[in-house]
Amino acid sequence: MSRGLLMLAAVVAPLMAQDARQIVEESQRRGRANSQRYEGVLEVTGADGKVTRKSWVSWRLGSYGASKAVIRFTAPAEVKGVALLVINHPDRSSDQWMWTPAIARDRRIALQDRSTRFFGTDFSFEDLEERDVEQYDYKLTGEESIGGAACWRIEARPRQTKSSQYTLTRTWIRKDNYVPAQYENFVKEQPVRRLEQKDIQQTQGIWTARTLEMTDLRRKSRTVLRLEKLEYNIPLKDDEFTVQALRREQ
Amino acid sequence: MRLRAALFAALALAARAQNFSQRGFIETTSLFYPQDAPNDSGNVVGSALFRYEAFYKLTNLRFAAGVDARADTHQQTDREFRHIWWDRSRRRPLFAVRRLSATYTRGRLTVEAGKQLIRWGKADVLTPTDRFAPRDFLNVVDSEYLPITAARLTYGTQADTLDLIFSPRLTPSRVPLLNQRWAVLPPVPVHELDPDLPGGPQFGARWNHIGAAAEYSFSFYNGYDHLPLFRVQPNFALLRADIQRFYPQMRMYGADAAAPVGPVTLKAEAAYFTSNNPSADNYALWVLQVERQAGEWSLVAGYAGEVVAESRSAPGFSPVRGYTRAVVARAGYTLDVNRSLALEAVVRQNGKGVYAKAEYSQALGPHWRATVGAALIRGTDGDFLGKYRRNSHAILSLRYSF
Repeated sequence: MSRGLLMLAAVVAPLMAQDARQIVEESQRRGRANSQRYEGVLEVTGADGKVTRKSWVSWRLGSYGASKAVIRFTAPAEVKGVALLVINHPDRSSDQWMWTPAIARDRRIALQDRSTRFFGTDFSFEDLEERDVEQYDYKLTGEESIGGAACWRIEARPRQTKSSQYTLTRTWIRKDNYVPAQYENFVKEQPVRRLEQKDIQQTQGIWTARTLEMTDLRRKSRTVLRLEKLEYNIPLKDDEFTVQALRREQ
Repeated sequence: MRLRAALFAALALAARAQNFSQRGFIETTSLFYPQDAPNDSGNVVGSALFRYEAFYKLTNLRFAAGVDARADTHQQTDREFRHIWWDRSRRRPLFAVRRLSATYTRGRLTVEAGKQLIRWGKADVLTPTDRFAPRDFLNVVDSEYLPITAARLTYGTQADTLDLIFSPRLTPSRVPLLNQRWAVLPPVPVHELDPDLPGGPQFGARWNHIGAAAEYSFSFYNGYDHLPLFRVQPNFALLRADIQRFYPQMRMYGADAAAPVGPVTLKAEAAYFTSNNPSADNYALWVLQVERQAGEWSLVAGYAGEVVAESRSAPGFSPVRGYTRAVVARAGYTLDVNRSLALEAVVRQNGKGVYAKAEYSQALGPHWRATVGAALIRGTDGDFLGKYRRNSHAILSLRYSF
């Protein structure tokens, strides 16, 4: 009996792994756009309940694996103009630079520093990058309901362990529209951050979560990011996503 | 009337189209010095700064404008409107254009002309290659970068960039006022003559490469040192020393690099300076630093070194060289989204000069930020830092940003 179960497991496990990869690929394919722009409104709630509001504008050129993105703060006033450039690569972790207009300096965010929180939010620098499907090993570990929607539960482990602060990411992908409903990130098997994707709407034919709630499970703080004025496939140029462009855009 | 209405409509449309942005702040700072200084009886210095910057974007053109307006209690700021554009004055201008430039972009080419801030280099503890960045050193240990008038041409891709800069006139760094505590004077009466400011241009080139594992650049500068040397003439008739600032010709060959090494980022920057002026040293400055962000901490620590190839005679004022032969460390700790701590320390390798500073900063709502801190300076007379040992101080700053 037990040998039979083992044989069954040996046959089914690769199939499930394949399924998990296909689900993630399909999820990424459905979210694909040539470009994206939105205005992000952030509400950071600290462990003590104090609320701080921030906002940024985000531009992205390309999709998973080879995209480039710029995030530029518009509020609060003291960080207006501070910007982050993220250049994602299909085969490795992203390159990131931060521009600080007050001192007119750009600074590369090193890979080992990406677990740091991004400007007081609960997103880390790494959470702002997009990873290609090829950078992870996937495993379908079950099915669960998130917010009343049936989801696949998939575990992803980075193939290059040093490329991510997280050792494991558990993702719940909705069966109806393939939008990830929730991510749970682990460090050494301990959950450290949870990202809930809510308010899923169709914009220009792409199902998109318009509210992202990131919870830092260790600090007991959370950041809610609302995507406003979201647009896809707007004309953006490649040379708007360089360190030089960070500087000239102020 | 119609024209005015059309103009307002056009401006409103432009603003709505998100081509216009602005920012600024009003800041008041108070410095409390518990010790008296021989040439300055004041123990409290208050200052206020209003800064406003606006940006407007057309398709390939961008315009930037910014102004500073200042006031203080200690005669550090001019009391009349002058030096609005060319910032070569002894005191801070009452009102100054900080930024007025036009930027044209076409493909890989960007040209910016006008008044602007230009920064080179990668290191933080000291930036020897940062030759187009004069500073306001009225407070030696808390300086601010000054804009310059220049044309800057940048050509390249994300991976390789060539930066060419031409500035028609030198903007000198602002040095401590002789009647104030940050000027440490000799034991004889001193009279300052009008400075000998160079009239010629300065130019520089920098090539920067960004690779997957490392970034590095090479730079060249030809112009003048923005930090002065002094001509000293004894005036026996009046029993005093006449001193005159002058800014020697300077040529710089520099390089900088940054690469992640294990758990830290290693940064290195070095520059060799030569001068055809017989009073100016030929020397090299170099910096090696590591930095790391972990959890709520950000840490930078390094060593700044100096090698004098040819020592000449003129005395000078150079905080850049004064911070060398020293270990420099900075740390920041984020307490929460609104509160942070910053620590800084400079220790000369011979132990004759120490500077340490701690600051606590807290945001008070979306616009206000209060900062309190204290700076401790200790050392001996002969040391660049040590000679300011009477200038340990407490800081209280309040800023409203908009």
